[in-house]
Amino acid sequence: MAETTFWTGSDKYLCDRELAQAFHMSRVLGMPLLIEGEPGTGKTELPLQYSKDLNLDLHVYPVGSKSTVDQFVAKFDHVKYLRDSQIEVLNAQREEKGLETKLSTGGRSTEILDDYVMLGPASKAYSSKNSVLLIDEIDKAPREFPNDLLYALSHRKFVMPESGKVIEVSEEDMPAIVITSNREQELPTAFKGRCIYHYITFPSSDVMRQIVDKHYPNTDDEVVQRSIDIFYQLRQLGLERAPSTRELLNWLKYLKTFSKKETIKKIEELDGLGALVKTQDDVKRVKRNMDTQSGGSGGNKRFYQ
Amino acid sequence: MFESFPEVCRSFGIDADVRSLLLMRRAMDKQLVNTVGDMYALFKGSLVKDPTHVGPFTQAFYHYFIGVDVQPGERLSDAIQRSQTFQDWLDDFIKADEERVNMNMDDVIEKFLDEVHTTTYDIKKVLDGEKILAEDDPEMKDRGAGDANAQQANADRLLDKAADYRFVDLEELRRRMEKVMEQQSEKHSGGSHWIGTGGTSPYGHGGAALGGIRVGGSGGGKMARQVFDDPQYYPVDVDANINDDNIDATLASLKGVLEETNDMFLDIPLTVKTGVKQGGLFLPIELEKTNDKLQVILLIDNGGYSMDYFIRPVQALFKKMKTRYAHDLETYYFHNTIYKYVYDDERRTNPIPIERILNKDPNYRVFIIGDASMAPYELHEGSVIAWGRFSEKFKKICWLNPVAEKHWAITFTTTILKRIIPMYSMTPRGIEKAIREMNQKKNKI
Repeated sequence: MAETTFWTGSDKYLCDRELAQAFHMSRVLGMPLLIEGEPGTGKTELPLQYSKDLNLDLHVYPVGSKSTVDQFVAKFDHVKYLRDSQIEVLNAQREEKGLETKLSTGGRSTEILDDYVMLGPASKAYSSKNSVLLIDEIDKAPREFPNDLLYALSHRKFVMPESGKVIEVSEEDMPAIVITSNREQELPTAFKGRCIYHYITFPSSDVMRQIVDKHYPNTDDEVVQRSIDIFYQLRQLGLERAPSTRELLNWLKYLKTFSKKETIKKIEELDGLGALVKTQDDVKRVKRNMDTQSGGSGGNKRFYQ
Repeated sequence: MFESFPEVCRSFGIDADVRSLLLMRRAMDKQLVNTVGDMYALFKGSLVKDPTHVGPFTQAFYHYFIGVDVQPGERLSDAIQRSQTFQDWLDDFIKADEERVNMNMDDVIEKFLDEVHTTTYDIKKVLDGEKILAEDDPEMKDRGAGDANAQQANADRLLDKAADYRFVDLEELRRRMEKVMEQQSEKHSGGSHWIGTGGTSPYGHGGAALGGIRVGGSGGGKMARQVFDDPQYYPVDVDANINDDNIDATLASLKGVLEETNDMFLDIPLTVKTGVKQGGLFLPIELEKTNDKLQVILLIDNGGYSMDYFIRPVQALFKKMKTRYAHDLETYYFHNTIYKYVYDDERRTNPIPIERILNKDPNYRVFIIGDASMAPYELHEGSVIAWGRFSEKFKKICWLNPVAEKHWAITFTTTILKRIIPMYSMTPRGIEKAIREMNQKKNKI
């Protein structure tokens, strides 16, 4: 039986109820969970933290522009196969010449094709129970990739290349599959239809406090509050690349290295802005806003009043 | 059960079909669904595939299950207060404690939503609700009780097969759904608003809700409320000219220009060459097919005030496109139409002979942006020939016109240009169509 307890996050990861419920549903129904949302909202973190918290096997497949289903499922290693068959020929020749030593094929036999099938993360996850499979950033894949996955997802089985072995998993033992996407390209409808979909909404400032608490439990309240205030103000400026949770946490990591008084001063001066704002245009815009906010009060550049 | 729900969803612009119902059955079998909030979550997970669909879906759900109709532009709390469901609930709510009359309306509504979302039911009750509906409907009545049993058996059969969609008799289900649809159009009985149906409404806490709900908990009423008032959960108008609001949607439709492939091809000459060097051991050498370089020429009509309004969003769009995909993008300007020159600066002071563009790689994609309307004498033979040379040379060419499509036929010059170069409206939908048709033209090698 697959792991289907209702998981609500760990001490390092705050999983909001909606997401927890969607994740739970997907596991019970044996369907993949497709998570979309702004970058830096913890899409990838969910399966990582889940597997860590419950001590489950995790298989990760980071998708790139060159991803193929072969890499994801299994590949037949032709080169190794060729090498081993050459070695067999060589060994036969050596025997003829009366040489004792033989060249090794590393325990593989060219008779058994399975020896040359290199399992990808998907096959590994399907063959072990209670595992977690993360397909990260599927939107980066070539257009045919999600379509090629359809069969495996709806029939829960893979056919190994060349050897023809079938790796199959029952609905109950289906690994928890989490697919993340940044919406850089639309996924095919048929693919989405086989997933439970969840869109992570950006956390409100209360939730953000809790998230910060989880990551940096001993940070001073005032520091946290002030930095979060500024963070949300920045998000409202309509920047090209609005800072996300990840940026806030990075900024706090930097701020934490100072004493409280220094930190607050640094927050007011927006020190370490580079951790929050990532493009030149955005930096300019923030600077401009700082100037107007200070209202020309003697060059006292304060963003936060 | 809920046969008419997909239909209701579709009327709200959500793509729903019978599979979502089958999934719901499966989820119920697995004890996943205990409250209305769970149903909301499950339907949402299976039907909503885009954040901009959350809003319409929530509307559909509230309309169908709770009997709350949200009119366009109306706030959820107003719609709730209007609804009969809420009024009935409120009566009970106040009856229980007279003091509650003075409560803040917002708090009351929150309470209502919480209760609705944590309302429990068991499937039997729902099936009863279905019976009520069946009795309401004259056609189903005619078929008699025997048939009802058959229906039940049919439903059971579906339940068994729900895990695997291949064996479900889709025809049968479709027929049933169509019937429900007919009923709906005849009389708006509201399907199975079983929460609203008097007497049987299973409000409040009890059963699973009290005993710690396995799934859901708070039920998501608060979330639903947030969804209603947030524009990010509603679709952008893909038929509107591109503007700041739908620029991202437009960018998404432009993504189609990027041709990606991960095909490998066998490099025969290299394989033979290295094979000979290796003494007859031929190892296949595969090379990655190099991606087609994406090259774009942008021709913008920036003459005259008629185009002013559109130029900024267009430039923002293509600038974003350039940074996103990092490729070759060249922009030229013209006034109304082209003759012998285009200009490479916005003020049109630096003329570039069109031959220079026409000598470029024929695989460039050419986007012409302009309203194509001018005085007829401006579009004389020389100009028509110039456009003809463009469409001859660049197969992947399109004209994006910010003027609404219905007005094209009125302008003489537009009708002429439209015949030379395929013209699309400058909306996310139009651009998507343009790209799709462009992609069908093969690259010249």
